[in-house]
Formats: sequence, C-alpha cells, structure tokens
Amino acid sequence: MPEEARDRLGGTAEENRDRLGGTAEENRDRLGGTAEETRIVKRRIHEYPDDSWTIERAVDDGAYKGAKKAITTMQPDEVIDLVKASGLRGRGGAGFPTGVKWSFAPKDVFPKFIVVNHDEGEPGTFKDRELGENDPHQLIEGITIAAWAVQASRAFIYCRGEFALGSRRLDRAISDAYERGFLGEGVFGSDFELEIILHRGAGAYICGEESALLDSLEGFRGQPRLRPPFPAVKGLYGQPTIVNNTETLGNLPDIILKGADWFRQWGTEKSPGTKVLSVSGHVNRPANYEVPMGTSLADVLELAGGMREGHTLKAIIPGGASAPLLTSTDIAMDFESLKEAGSMLGSGAVVFMDETTCMVRNALVTTEFFEHESCGKCTPCREGTWWGVKVLERIEEGDGRREDMDLLLDICDGIDGRAFCPLGDAAAWALRSNVKLFREEFEEHVSLGRCPFEDEAKVLVGAHQGGGSGDAGVMPQPAAGAPSDANTQP
Amino acid sequence: MTTNGRVKVTINGQTVEAEPGRLLIDVAEEMGIFIPRFCYHPGMKSVAVCRMCLVAVEGMPKLAPACATPVAADMEVNTVDEQAVDAQKGMLEFLLINHPLDCPICDRGGECPLQDQTYAHGPGSSRYVEPKRTYEKALEISDLVVLDRERCVLCWRCVRFSDEIAGDQFIQLVDRGPGTQILTFNDEPFDSYFSGNTIQICPVGALTSKPYRFVSRPWDLVSAPSICAYCSVGCPLTNDVRGGQLVRTQALPNENVNDFWTCDKGRFGYHYVSSEDRLTTPLIRNRKQEFEPVSWGEAVGAATGPLSAGRRVGVIAGGHLTTEDAYGVARLAKKTIGTPHVDSRLQDAGAPYELALEVSDAAGSTATITDLESARTIVWVGPDPKETLPVLYLRLRQAWGDHDTKLIVISARRISLDGFATHVVRCDPGGEALALQGLMDGSELPAASDVGDPLVVCWGPSSPGRDETGIFGAVIELVKAKGAKLLMCPPHAGSQGLIDMGVHPTLDAGYKPARAPGLDTRGILQSAADGELDTLLLVGADPIADFPDSELATRALAGGVFVVAVEILPTESLAYADVVLPSAAYAEREGTFTNLERRLQKLQPVLPPPGSAIEPWKICARLAAAMGDNWGLPDFDDVWTAINADVPSHSGLQADHLRNQPVTPAPYYESGFEGETSSRTIVAGPGGQYPHGHRGGSPFQTGQNWPLSWELRAFEAKQRPGLIPSVPARNGNGAPHVRGSSPPSTAARAPGRFALYSGRLIYDEGAMVSRTTALRGIQKKPFVEMHPDDVKELELSDGDSVVVESDGGAAELRIIVSDIARGAIFVPYDQEGLRANRLIRGASPTVALRKP
Repeated sequence: MPEEARDRLGGTAEENRDRLGGTAEENRDRLGGTAEETRIVKRRIHEYPDDSWTIERAVDDGAYKGAKKAITTMQPDEVIDLVKASGLRGRGGAGFPTGVKWSFAPKDVFPKFIVVNHDEGEPGTFKDRELGENDPHQLIEGITIAAWAVQASRAFIYCRGEFALGSRRLDRAISDAYERGFLGEGVFGSDFELEIILHRGAGAYICGEESALLDSLEGFRGQPRLRPPFPAVKGLYGQPTIVNNTETLGNLPDIILKGADWFRQWGTEKSPGTKVLSVSGHVNRPANYEVPMGTSLADVLELAGGMREGHTLKAIIPGGASAPLLTSTDIAMDFESLKEAGSMLGSGAVVFMDETTCMVRNALVTTEFFEHESCGKCTPCREGTWWGVKVLERIEEGDGRREDMDLLLDICDGIDGRAFCPLGDAAAWALRSNVKLFREEFEEHVSLGRCPFEDEAKVLVGAHQGGGSGDAGVMPQPAAGAPSDANTQP
Repeated sequence: MTTNGRVKVTINGQTVEAEPGRLLIDVAEEMGIFIPRFCYHPGMKSVAVCRMCLVAVEGMPKLAPACATPVAADMEVNTVDEQAVDAQKGMLEFLLINHPLDCPICDRGGECPLQDQTYAHGPGSSRYVEPKRTYEKALEISDLVVLDRERCVLCWRCVRFSDEIAGDQFIQLVDRGPGTQILTFNDEPFDSYFSGNTIQICPVGALTSKPYRFVSRPWDLVSAPSICAYCSVGCPLTNDVRGGQLVRTQALPNENVNDFWTCDKGRFGYHYVSSEDRLTTPLIRNRKQEFEPVSWGEAVGAATGPLSAGRRVGVIAGGHLTTEDAYGVARLAKKTIGTPHVDSRLQDAGAPYELALEVSDAAGSTATITDLESARTIVWVGPDPKETLPVLYLRLRQAWGDHDTKLIVISARRISLDGFATHVVRCDPGGEALALQGLMDGSELPAASDVGDPLVVCWGPSSPGRDETGIFGAVIELVKAKGAKLLMCPPHAGSQGLIDMGVHPTLDAGYKPARAPGLDTRGILQSAADGELDTLLLVGADPIADFPDSELATRALAGGVFVVAVEILPTESLAYADVVLPSAAYAEREGTFTNLERRLQKLQPVLPPPGSAIEPWKICARLAAAMGDNWGLPDFDDVWTAINADVPSHSGLQADHLRNQPVTPAPYYESGFEGETSSRTIVAGPGGQYPHGHRGGSPFQTGQNWPLSWELRAFEAKQRPGLIPSVPARNGNGAPHVRGSSPPSTAARAPGRFALYSGRLIYDEGAMVSRTTALRGIQKKPFVEMHPDDVKELELSDGDSVVVESDGGAAELRIIVSDIARGAIFVPYDQEGLRANRLIRGASPTVALRKP
C-alpha cells in the first residue's frame, strides 16, 4: 500500500495493530477468538486483522469473485431467486427476507437505486461499524451483487456521521474498486454500470429508519415517510429503491459463490445463516461475535467470557435498546424464538446487565435516548417519550407516586401501535418491559423516596450526554481486572 | 366492487358506495361521521402526523390513520371502537400535556379545533403534573402574523401550506423531538402574500392575526358570508363584525373558485369598511366651494339638472361595483339620461374585452378556474397574477403541481409564473402578439408540440393604458385555431359584471352591440377636458388615481364639467365633485359580484351602511326617478326581475338562486358537538335584514351567534350559485382578423426611449387597501425594473437611482435589475411616492431614462 494511502487510513499496519491493542494473535483472541464462532461476514476480518480492509488483501482473499460470478454468469432474476432460496433475512432489525424485498422493485422503472443503511445507531450495536471499517470491500461486493440483481446503476452508502475511520476506509475502498474496474462503467467487462456514492449522516438515530434515511439523503429533514408507497416502489427521488443493511449485503458474496444450501447449513429453517451479535454490558469480553442463528443466549454469554466476576445476571437486552428485556439466557437467538419470547432479535445488540443495575435508571436512560432521538413528527412519540422521561426522573429522584407505574404503562399503550414509525413503538416496548419485569424495584423507589442503588451503579446513567446519537448509553465499560482469557461464569 | 366502479365500504355499521382510493376520513365525513383530526386538511396532501384520526379497520393489525387510508372494497371500519376511542383520548392527553391552557386569553378560544375536540373526545383531566414546555412568547413573525410556539400542536398545516400551496417556504420546522417548533428561517419575516391562510388553518391559537389579536371573542362576532371585493377571482369570505366594526375576514372554501384560500390583501384589507373617513351623507359644493352635508332629496335634485344633458353627459363606473350596480348605471346612462358615453375601464382602459365575442356568445371567459386543472397546457399572456389575481396564481400553481399541466408564459418581463413555467417567451415590448402567432405556427417554441388539448389560454390586460387589441386579437386567433378555452381576466371584482350589464361604450346589456357606440373612458375624459361634455357621473370611479393618464383625468374633472360622484371613501377625484352621493360598501349590502369565469356570487350584509349611504344601484334608481323615469325597484329581488327581463344573457337567473339560504348550521362537525348550541343562526337573517350586534347595538350578542371553526363555515360555500352558461361560437367566425396596431418591437422605438410597463402590486395606495395600516406598512417602495444591459449602458448598477421621465412628469426611482426585455422598463402603478399614471401618456407609453 502506498505511504499516503496508509496515512489516510489512519496509520501503518503496526499502528493499526496498536490501535487494536496487540498482535494479530492477541487481537484474534480479543475479538472473540474461540472456536464457537462461525464466521461468514467476519471471516476476513478475523483471518487478516492487520490489513483486511485493503484491496490488495481483500482481492488476494477472493473478494469480488462473487460479484464477478453474478454479473458475468447469472441473470439478475437468477440472483434474486438464489437469494430467496438462501432465506437470507435483513440484518438491520426487521428481518425482512432480502430476496423478496428485491423482487418488489418494479422491473421496468429506471433508474433504480441501492441504498446501504450504514447508519448504525441502535444503542448497543456496533457490528456494521466493524464490518465497514475492517472489510469495506465485502460491502462493496455485496452492493454490486444487489445492484446487478435489481438492475440499479447507482448506489448510496448512508454512513453514520460518527464513523470517522469507517468512512475514510470506505471512501478509499470505493476509489480502489473503481481503479480496478469493479465499479464504474463496464463492471467486469460487462455492459453493467455501477456508481457508488458515500454519504455521511449528521447524527440522527431516526435516519436509520429507511424512509427517513431517504429523506435525509435527499437533503430534507430526516423524518419517516408515509407508507405506502414503499421505498422498493417509490424511494429515493421517487424511484424504486432497495435499502439494505451492511451485514445483510456482507452475506451475499458467499451465497453467490457457495450457494443457498451452503448458507442454510447454519441457523434455523426460517432464520438461516449467521448473525453478528454485538455483546456488551457487564461481561468480561464485550465484542462482536458471529454465531449461527439460533445459538442459545447462554452460549453467547459464554463466548463473551461470562458476567464479570462476583456478579450475577439480572437482565438482558437481546436486540438493541428497542428490544424488550429478558431475564433468562435460556433462549435461542433467532427471529422467531425471540419474537415468541415477547422480544426481538433486532439489530443483534446483546446487553447483559448484572445485579448492580438500577432498572429505573435503565428505563430512564433508554427513554431519554428515544426522547432525544424522536424526530418530532408524530404526537405519541414526541409527547409520550417526553412525558415518560419526566415521570422516570421523578421516580429516580425519589418523587415518585404510587400511580406512576400504571401511568408509565398507559403512556406506553398510548405510543405503541399508534406512532408514525417504529421509533415510537420501540420506546414503548423498552419502557414497558422495564416496568413490567421490575415493577417491585420501581415501587421500592417510590416507597423509599430515593434510589436504593449505589452511586457506582450510575455508570449507565447520563453516559449518552456525551453527545452523538447515543449508542454510548449502554456501551460496555471494560471490566477492570477481568481475566482476558477466562471463560468462567460468575 | 359494484358495477359502477365504486366500492362498498361499511363505517360504523352504515354501508355506502365510494370511489376506490378516496380517503376514509372524507368518505366518513360525507356520511355524517366526523373523525377527529388536526393535521388533515382537505386542501393539502395527507401526512398522518397528529395520529388523531386513528380508526379500527377490520383485518388491519393496528389502528389506521383515516386521513391516509384509501377506501377499498368491502372495507369495514369502526371509528367508535373501544381501541379507537382510547387512542383519541390518549392522543388528546398527549397533545395537552404541553399545550398551555390559556384559552381565556387566546384568540382561538371559542372556535378552536383543539378545544372543540377535547370537549368531544378528550379526557376530562390531565395526569401530567410536571412543568410544560415554554418558548419566548408572541413572536411577531411578520406585520400580519404572530406566533406562540407553546400553543403549537405541530400539525404542520402551516408548513405544508407554504410548501405545497403558496410555494414560498417562509415558515418551517426547526429542531427535533419534543423541541420541534415552527419558525421562520433565520428570523426572516413570514413574507408571503398568502400568510393569513396559515392563521385560518392553524388548529390552535399558535398562529394569530396581528390586526385581529385580542380584538374580539368569537362568540361576540356577528358573521355573514360574502365575496371579496378586490380582484376578479371572487374568493368567498366571511365577514365578522363586533360592536359595529368589521374586525375580521376569513376565507370560505369553494373548490370551484378559491379552493380554501384567499390572499392577504383580501383577508386583511377590510379596514376601509369601518374607516372613520367613510362618506356618510350626501354633499354638495356650496358657493364657498366647500362641501356641505345635505339631504338625499337636495343632493339628487342638484344632480338632476346637469344629468339631463343627454349626450353631453359622460358616465364612468369603477371596478368594485356589483352586477346590480352595473345594471343600474347602464340603465341610468343609456336609457334615462340617453348617453352612449359610458365605460368602466380605468386602469384597464384600452382592454378590448368585446373581442371575446368572437369565440362565444359572451364578452367573457369560456373556461372556468377548474378548467385550469384539467388542461394539458395553459398559455398565460397578461399581468403578474401573483400581484393582481393572487388566488388565481395559486390555482395555476396547483394545476402545475398536482396535475402536471404545462404552462407557457408570454411576457416582456419576468413574472411569478416563470418560476414553474414549462416555457417562458420573453418577448420584445409590445411583441406579445408576435409571440402568440409564433406559438400557433410553431416557430416561437421548439417544443410547441406541447401545446396540446385541452388548452386554456389566459389573457388579462398586462399594463395599464396599453392598447391590447393586437395582443388579445392574437389570443382570440389562438383560441380559435386550437379549439381552446379562453380565461379572460379583467382586473376587479366588478369588472365582468360591468361588461355584462352594458357599462361599455360599444356593448349594451347582454353583449348586444350598441346601436350608437359611445366614447370610451379616454374619449370621455378627453371630451370633458375639451369642453365637449357638460356633466360627468362617476360611480365608484377615481380617474385621477386609476386612469393611466392622470393629467388628462385631472384636466377633465377640473374643467367646466359638473361632476356627480358616487363613492364610499374620499378620493382624489372627489375633490372636483359638485355633488357627492355616499354608497354602501360590500359588507353592508346585498348584491352579486361576477368573477372572471362569469360566476355570480352573492354578498350578504353584516353591517348597516354608515349614515345614509345606500347601494349604488339604488342611487341610480333615485337619480332616474328624479329625472322622471321611475324604475319601481325597491329591493334586490326586484332588480333581478328587471335584469331577467332586460338582459338576455341573464334571463335564466333568479334572485332566489343567487340568495344564500339562511344557513341552518350543519352538525357541529369540528367537535362532534350536538345539541342546543349547534342550532343557532350564524348569518344575517333572510331578506337582507341586519343581524343584531351592528353599529350602535350592544357589543355583546352572545345569544345570537355561535362561533364556529372555519371548517364548519365551509358548508355555506356549497350553496353558491353556478356559472352563467356560455355558448361557444360556431367554429371560426370567418377569416382571421387583423386588429389594431401594437408597435411590435424595439425597431419602432425612438432611440433613448424605453417602453413603459406598469401594473398594480398586491399592496399599493389604492383607496381601499391603503386604509389597512398593516398592509401599508409592507407595501413595496417604488422601484424601476430594468434589463441589465440597459442599466450598464446608462453606467448605473442595481440599487442605483435613475430618473424616469415622460411628457407627463418625472420620478427618481431605485433600479432593480431584472429579467425584462431590453428596451422595456417596469414601474409599479401606485406605490407611496409614485403614481405611474402621471408618467403614462397614450396607448404605447414610452419614457426616457437619465442619471439623477
């Protein structure tokens, strides 16, 4: 790699190694290097932690073979059928079947657009960040395959504004790909033309909602659009637009090369493949772990090194701040199982909380986040989150009233199912599960007239005030003194 | 699906057939089921943000917003289902947690959709105990609009109006989440010609009218429907009176005319009606040359002799007279007095409206305003409609925006329509006719193939005093050649009615060619100045201010003629009057205005006229009676009986059709209120009797009226009478005519001379609008628009002063460099400090320019 490029990417291989905090071997361990991980989208990152993001390494490792195969040997419809057969579902949160979404785009309307939702803002989620920073070529290859499948000649990567390193690497990767003829006119010598435009957001969680993302991309206030029409029919600039998540696209090269059956060897019938889980909270080794869909939450906890020493598990957020809480690890991590359990897989952010966590504070932090990030478009989300925060603040500060718990549940009922977009619903789900599962703790706050938890437990409170769109609110605090190699449970 | 393509929909157990795709909220409302709402407005696209209209739809997992849910076959809807009612209550509780309960001092209190719907659907009390959101109070975002952000429920109606309808985004959402607020950008003023509409559609008191702020409680108002007296669009309005003063006007919706809107001139320009200098009693000039109040008998007696001079009498009528007044003026002039010298064209002097007879049986439009929306192409030749016919501008914009209509603009200078026109032809001064011919033969526009069916050609006199015969003649040829419809746009509310009734030198009532053509306005004034006339009768006419040659008008009045003037306000011309007869203003009388599409719309009185003022047609009848010609027409019904008999084109219209039935208020839809309060009378009683609460009456008339949210007033609009049918002429009417002469281009121009274009701006020194202080405050300062190369040639630049000189006078004006044809300049007609009619001479006025 030329020197200047290396500078632009933020350092030499050695420096980057330092940034990751150790040698390749050590990093492998630190990034969850146990045998239980099953890596599709994280494979290259895992195998080449020093330079997985460079085009030299990526191409050497086989990048763009899938895209080349699709464009030079397959019809667009064949690609769509293959992806449908693989059962790949969206990894951004909703889990909609990717091939089916593609097939909604009208065949005879041009231009069509691919938009990558790389605006990872769900509190607790940091998988797309790693994928974008460390394997941008996998994303570009995935975009190329999707663009070929729906015959889009232009793609936009909507990159979260805070991803400074990630956006630099994506920018570099895109120009490298152009240089090698993987993008631009005549991709792989075919007639197919593809242009990729990298766009950085400005720090709004709502812009991760696909239609708000499109408004923001067009230069308007980021606010969700009325549906129908759905983006696949009328999206960016009124044209058919497929919005896919970074991790979803990352699965495509291997699916093209190795087939649907290969992909289906992992996961469940309805949720095939793997999922990158961003594990954080009071665990010993917070990191991204790629595991087969349906892996038990207990195994995930074990991968992450278990709870910090001397503490016990109290609650789990299984799929980002929007997901209702769980209290047990006895559950399979796939779309259906979590839905049955009254929660959701969401973006795959798993936050483990131990007994030092005040659930009123947890509810407050989460609701504050949603209040701060509400776009203000619809009444229930705008006013409901505002009200929820006010009530939770009172309870936490010792001014709670006995009827407040029912009031909070009423507020949740007033938002859930009535908000314009899922942001409001999510705020209600999260708050409701806190009150329902830990009602005694709320009542204790009221009857004591103060928070019964130690101040140290406030580690989760107020962290979001550092700015940005707030995944820091429940980001892991590295456990001091935790053994780095221990796999023990408290 | 039924056989007629409609679908069966069941709402609350009632089944109806509806067009598929129509919005549930509309279909329900037509069935009499009111679904509460804040953000939904039938004139704008749905956004479904307030979530107030959530209803239960069978088979849908969640409640659906009725404003964004199209009806589909066999849809079953429940609007009063337990869940839906719970959602409505919940949404109101959410909206109220941050809404200040300052209803007792809020202008909206009493006619507030939030208040109404809270009564009907809301929870009785709030569980919110924390402090409410506050903002800096009462931001004056313009001279007309005041904003109280803490009252706002963020329905976006104002923002959407600015974006979708007016096309000027002066007002926007800023910040996000619970901090979201409505604001103007960068503290710039809300500088829109249509800003008042946002006040009216605001479902709370967040946007209020500065002139009306704290003036009245709605239940103290006496209201009557009326028609705007300014331009020829004829927006339906309600006039609200408190303590004998006209204190507010609001738009009444009529989808055929104004949709839901009116301009700020129509909305705020009402102060002249209750102005202190209204003429209240007849006046005659005494020997000391002073005006002396006299009785009607004396004044009429003084006028009778001079008016009996037959053909030596000239009659000029102004554009704000009603159709009945026009009938009275024409009958008085042509029959009683016996003079053919009668005209109503002042600022539009030289506009050959009669040419329209070549394409139909009427000297008027063959197109309606709604035809603009079904047209594929619209051609516009005329003034800037945003300044002179503001709501027509909105309708043109709507045609372009919602219906993808192509718009071709032919103009010597940049006008507001250029912003969204498909093609703009920037013709030479006077070259409009050539451009139109080019449009016809395809030479002017490479894309003339876009001129497709249905085609509507709009024409209005583009510059005061210009001879438009060539231009309108070319328009008529285009209409004939393409089988197009014509939308003829005379300037004022009364202009078309005056033509129809024969206040015209060459046309008698019903467009019959006059047997003995008389003099037009210019001819009358010239003859008066030359001493060839003895008497001038001015009915609502102010030639010195309005006629595009002020000097000629002054000479005419100041000469030896006896001047009889019928007026509502003192004007410049009045200074030369010998007899002054006070007349009633539009809010004080019955009558009809005929708008530019020849739609007759009725006025209802809400006030008595001041003093002994009466309607101009009654004044004409009195003068006639004094001259021995007793018409015997005591009231509105009688004058229509006479019009039916005398005016063939209007023979089918009955006074009954024109009269608004006294409105029986519909169920109180905005709130769902039912009961005693909803059955109160809200308009003036039948027969033109004045309601209680008029001038001199008690200011408190709470028992008489019940205030209503504007939506309810909409029900009245549906009662309005229809158009006068017009019959298109049999195709062609023969070979193309070559008419008049309009010096086509710069070639004809003497070196150093510039073609002078002028036109009224929306707010100017007109006698009516200038009585509203707020509008006078935002009047533009005089300026001159010039082509950049012309400016450069004079070695001047944008913003510099230049002296504009004509035979009539000179004015030093600030230069605005603009997209205007070379060799042409534009000066506004009547701004403070500039009377363009002092510069205009003749039918092709030119001026010289020099450095100051």
